[in-house]
Amino acid sequence: MANPLRWLNWRHTLLNAWRAFKDVIYGMTTYEMVRDLKKERARLEHLFVLITMGDWLGIPILPPYYALRLLPYVLPQIPGWRCCLLRERDLTDLTDFET
Amino acid sequence: MNAITVFIISLVGIGVGYFLYAKSIDRAIIQPDSNKITPAKMYMDGVDFTPANRNVLFGYQFKSVAALGPIVGPIVAIQWGWLPALLWIVLGTMFIGWVQDYASIMVGVREEGQTFGALSFRLISRRARTILLIFIYAYLLLIMAAFGKIVGFDLMTNPAVPLGVLLVMVLGMVAGHMTYKLKMDILVTTSVTVVLAFFGIWLGTIGPVKSLFLAINGGATSPLLFGSVTWAQFLWSIVVLLLCYLGATLPIWRWAQPINYVAFWIVFLGIVGGTIGIVIWHPAIPADFPAFSNFEGKLGELKALGPLWPLLFVTIACGAISGWHSLVSSSGTARQLEVETDALYVGGGAMFLEMFLATLSLLCAVVGVGYEKYVVLVSKGANAGVFANGLATFLNKIGIPVSFGLPYGSVFLTLMALTIMYLVVRFMRVASAEFLGDAVPVIRNTAVGTIVALALSAVMIWTGFWSYVWILFGGSNQLMASIALLIISLWLKSKEKNYLWAFVPFIFMFITSIAALLNTAWQVITANLRGALPIDKLIGNWIAGGLAIFLSIAALILAWDAIKALMRPAKVSKPAEA
Repeated sequence: MANPLRWLNWRHTLLNAWRAFKDVIYGMTTYEMVRDLKKERARLEHLFVLITMGDWLGIPILPPYYALRLLPYVLPQIPGWRCCLLRERDLTDLTDFET
Repeated sequence: MNAITVFIISLVGIGVGYFLYAKSIDRAIIQPDSNKITPAKMYMDGVDFTPANRNVLFGYQFKSVAALGPIVGPIVAIQWGWLPALLWIVLGTMFIGWVQDYASIMVGVREEGQTFGALSFRLISRRARTILLIFIYAYLLLIMAAFGKIVGFDLMTNPAVPLGVLLVMVLGMVAGHMTYKLKMDILVTTSVTVVLAFFGIWLGTIGPVKSLFLAINGGATSPLLFGSVTWAQFLWSIVVLLLCYLGATLPIWRWAQPINYVAFWIVFLGIVGGTIGIVIWHPAIPADFPAFSNFEGKLGELKALGPLWPLLFVTIACGAISGWHSLVSSSGTARQLEVETDALYVGGGAMFLEMFLATLSLLCAVVGVGYEKYVVLVSKGANAGVFANGLATFLNKIGIPVSFGLPYGSVFLTLMALTIMYLVVRFMRVASAEFLGDAVPVIRNTAVGTIVALALSAVMIWTGFWSYVWILFGGSNQLMASIALLIISLWLKSKEKNYLWAFVPFIFMFITSIAALLNTAWQVITANLRGALPIDKLIGNWIAGGLAIFLSIAALILAWDAIKALMRPAKVSKPAEA
């Protein structure tokens, strides 16, 4: 006897295929735009971290008193900033930084 | 043989290549581990390293690797007959193409997202990186020359084409403004701009507009300006370079990105329409189109291209294997891979899909255009026009008139070329600033760096023969691919894994590419020595010959260093004594 719920599996498979198709189209179209916007935002955030925490790099822009005040807001950005700043770059990386 | 049979052969190639060969290498040698943390997660900085869903990444990878190469290459290569071209597309992808794309991603993932420049420094030698970077610059210059000649000399000189292209540029900027400034829904933006873009392409086909552009071109037979370059060719190549200048200097969100977005839909709908058209039509391959012409690549009245080996294997670069893919895979995709097990699907899968695109292009020429018209078009230097004609025939089978399909095919190709050319000029600008910035500080200026890159490109576009430039571009592209395969082999050896599956393709591609470059150098230099060439062709041939010899020598030095590195005994790290 045929399983009466078999069509549900088909529906599930079709839904998954449709979702995958949408993702592929997104990857071909707006994904890069979204990525560029995220990069732009990250760059601004990193600039903000540099302004506030510049002391760590020997660039004293802001008096430490204000830096300490801003510390809780800056804290979540520090790991990403650290990775981005310390990573060694090759020439093939540099085009991405030219917007 | 029916055209559908050719599609089925491609699908069988995909099945065997992907599910049997690629999966077995993936499982037995690379052994990806879904529990290992990828650089995208480990170094997530919100800038370069960001994990992405596998399907999204597949779309990104395909869009980044599929440009004009898989379309124009097969059209040129069928001068040896359609069968050798088809076999190289299918077998090249099955045994070499996916190897490079997939392994480039995996090397990037396992080496914490390092690019090939950094890896060549670490695995080969200090000078290897410098050579690689100079090599990449020359390769990019050849992309500009090959694509610039196609667009400026061939496609845009058709009076039905320029309005469509220029309107897509304007609509792309409108799309950017609607998205970023007016914060409009992307679906609304897409609908409005893409529909208007199609309207613009149609507008270009009406009588008065064509007459206007014909007048701008200087009449049906455009007057000669210098050497063999006509006024129309000069004018439209200047326009192309100007568009590249804007693409390379304006912020990405203002120009390149939204224009590429609108252009994507024009291209995507063309591919879908063409595929549906050929499936509905399912014609037989014309009996008069030879499956194999001869080893010299001499088809009918056309000038012989040269020996099948090595030239066929560089004429079709993208679509079988391409060095460009290794750059995209190692520095872009590898940093966004969420889990290691996605690498084969993303890298290998996108390569196999590109193979499908190359097959469609081959059918465009063989079935959509036919033997006699193909010979006429290619003898006039309209290689890109062959694709436009074929696509128009396929689209006609789904009710789209040829009078629209033909300029649409040309706009399609122009947009595909331009989207890559912006990126190339951007990279050339940064590279020249990096190389020469200390000695010549003015080159660090954005405008100056871009103008230098465009001036070099202009010299390449306005001189020489397109067919030689295309083979040089293909040769440098394949040489780039073989260097990527060599770095992959070195990396596999350093990890004490079997490296023959990458090293054997390296040997084949390296010897073939060097032979193709030297053959081209020989052809252009002997053509010059025979004399009786216009001054522009003469200059172009000397440049092409010099570049071919330079690239060959650079690649040989790099390979020499790499082979020495490969022969070095592996460093065995002993445990520290207590």
